Amino acid sequence: MLLTAAWVLGLIVVPQLRMIERAFIVDQRGDEAALVATEIERAYARVFAIDQDLLRAADGAAAPTAPSPFAPSPSSRATGAASPERTAALEAEKAEAQARIVELEAREAEIQAADRTTYALGNFTGMSRIHAWIFVSTLFYALCVTVLSFLACYPVAYAVATARRGERVALLMLGLVIPYAINELLRIFSWVMILEKQGILNGALDALGLIDMAAGEGVRFVASNGAVFVVMVYAYILFMVFPIYNTIETLDRNQIEAARDLGASAWRIHWRVVLPHAKPGIAVGAVMTFMLSAGSIAAPEIVGRGLHPDWFSQVIYRRFFESSNWNQGSAYALVLLVACVVFVLVVMKLFRVGIRDIAK
Amino acid sequence: MDGNDVALTGVSMRFGDFTAVHPTDLTIGAGEFFSILGPSGCGKTTILRMISGFLDPSSGDIAIGGRSMAGIGPNRRPTALIFQNLALFPLMTVWENVAFGLEARGVALADRKRRADELLALVALDGQGGKKPTELSGGQRQRVAVARALAVEPAVLLLDEPLSALDLKLRQHMRAELKDIQRRTGVTFIYITHDQGEALTMSDRIAVMNAGRVEQVGTGDEIYDTPASPFVATFVGEQNMFQGRVASVSGGTAVVDTALGPLHGVARGGLAAGDQALVFVRPERVGLVEADDGEAVNRVDAEVERRDLEGSFVNLFLRAGDQRISLHLTNAGAGRDVVSGRRRVGFRPADAVVMGVGEVARE
Repeated sequence: MLLTAAWVLGLIVVPQLRMIERAFIVDQRGDEAALVATEIERAYARVFAIDQDLLRAADGAAAPTAPSPFAPSPSSRATGAASPERTAALEAEKAEAQARIVELEAREAEIQAADRTTYALGNFTGMSRIHAWIFVSTLFYALCVTVLSFLACYPVAYAVATARRGERVALLMLGLVIPYAINELLRIFSWVMILEKQGILNGALDALGLIDMAAGEGVRFVASNGAVFVVMVYAYILFMVFPIYNTIETLDRNQIEAARDLGASAWRIHWRVVLPHAKPGIAVGAVMTFMLSAGSIAAPEIVGRGLHPDWFSQVIYRRFFESSNWNQGSAYALVLLVACVVFVLVVMKLFRVGIRDIAK
Repeated sequence: MDGNDVALTGVSMRFGDFTAVHPTDLTIGAGEFFSILGPSGCGKTTILRMISGFLDPSSGDIAIGGRSMAGIGPNRRPTALIFQNLALFPLMTVWENVAFGLEARGVALADRKRRADELLALVALDGQGGKKPTELSGGQRQRVAVARALAVEPAVLLLDEPLSALDLKLRQHMRAELKDIQRRTGVTFIYITHDQGEALTMSDRIAVMNAGRVEQVGTGDEIYDTPASPFVATFVGEQNMFQGRVASVSGGTAVVDTALGPLHGVARGGLAAGDQALVFVRPERVGLVEADDGEAVNRVDAEVERRDLEGSFVNLFLRAGDQRISLHLTNAGAGRDVVSGRRRVGFRPADAVVMGVGEVARE
């Protein structure tokens, strides 16, 4: 009981509340604070670079006759030769940078002290038209991924669930589960290798004589939404296959046979008997796949390479780590979360699936 | 109803090394209520699945109405199967269940509805069409399954122990109802069961199966009175069984020397003097006799061990040496009065069957 409470509090309530709180904080001097923060960041980076240079200079002075084979030796010797003057110059620059940091940090503290944080909707209403469009597109893309996953996974799940021999089941399960022992990033990168212009897929087309790679022909599959979809479908296949597999497995085989005996075609058996039975599983799979793909950052970032239409998750990422605007990032993330939840509830309503069915 | 006969010629089924059904010939007439009776694992369900098309025979051919069914899938055969667990579609309403076969045939919605209503009336479920199968009782679900199968107007209806899930009272009621539906529709019924009571009460003819072989085909009376093998003799109904050696065979009557002396019975199969043999006689055909009734044949003196009251009947269990003898008497006269003591029992040679030793049903 206590454990559950701690779990719910620590893993769900606190982070979510914090994010929601951030989302509603509108930083009055957000721009200056961000600027100062960026400058502090830069100054620290400079100091670090100078330190590196100093270390190298010291190395060069101490061992000029035995340059490291790993270091670019001519330049190190050069710096080593000019070491006294150069070191002095570097020291001076470092002192200057450190002084600047002190100054900037004082200013930052000042800003923060004067900071009148207020709760408002500015972070939401301030969303640009482009971002709003990306947001809507992302929901649509996630829906595409969900539908594609379902189309890819249903036959697999059905085949596994109705396989008679235990061996076949084991084999299929291994074929699906083992890929999931591999890190998601690695799987995404391997897909990039397949889809690249010099990649395996084009190589296969070349081998079939459909294109001539030597002549520079080849389809650039990566950096398109199609490629992102493919990679995502692959990345989330298990989340779709397993729930569907689980529900189909509980279907009485006799019902399939009865339908067949009564003259139903394979299509009708699926449409009237198997699919209705598997509906809760499909709903679970769709919810998971939709949520995961709507929030996925790795696949669009790596596969897309910035050349395909942006996903909203990328926009959120940039709010946090490039614009240093965490408040707006939180607001965007919250919008995405709410939209996903609403979307899921609407879909569940449309398919007449209750939470209770999903819990089964 | 012509052309609904089912003919199996040399049909067998092997699963790897295991032979589920040895080559079998069976002819089931149009409009017949035919039962296949046997213990579990005897291959009766395999035969049913071959007729319905879910299994392809390893050898031989199945013809329905003179047309070979080889290569025709279950969805295109003129058969309908009623599953042991009924396999109703739980997410559809009762009428949708009944009309499913028509839906698969592309019948228009209005016609499907009308036909479903007719069928539900046939099985006395008028007005229940809008319910889900789970809202019905066991017997009602049973009737939905029958209606669903009849909706496709099959030439042959195959029933795989459909009554086994019902309680005894309902089972007896459904027996009569099934028989009645069969008579009214004229559809050929092939009924799979391990329950001899079901087979005997409903069937025109019965095939008794054991270990992948059909041991006997005949009417209920034939099976009961003149079993073709020790297995059939012991699987169907109760039996008193005496072991011994054939002393002589003449004019269809065999005399067997047993521990209780010579016993006379009708010889079945080729028997010769000196053969090991079994004498079977039904408990209701053994009677209590007076010690001096003047008859010397098939008389045994035995001790009454137990008397079980069944209501209108009484089971009397006697022992003579190692031999147990049971009697099935009406609860009147001696049946009511005899409780213990040493008694003489006897039976007519015409009521006893003598057979060579073979496999006996274990109960």
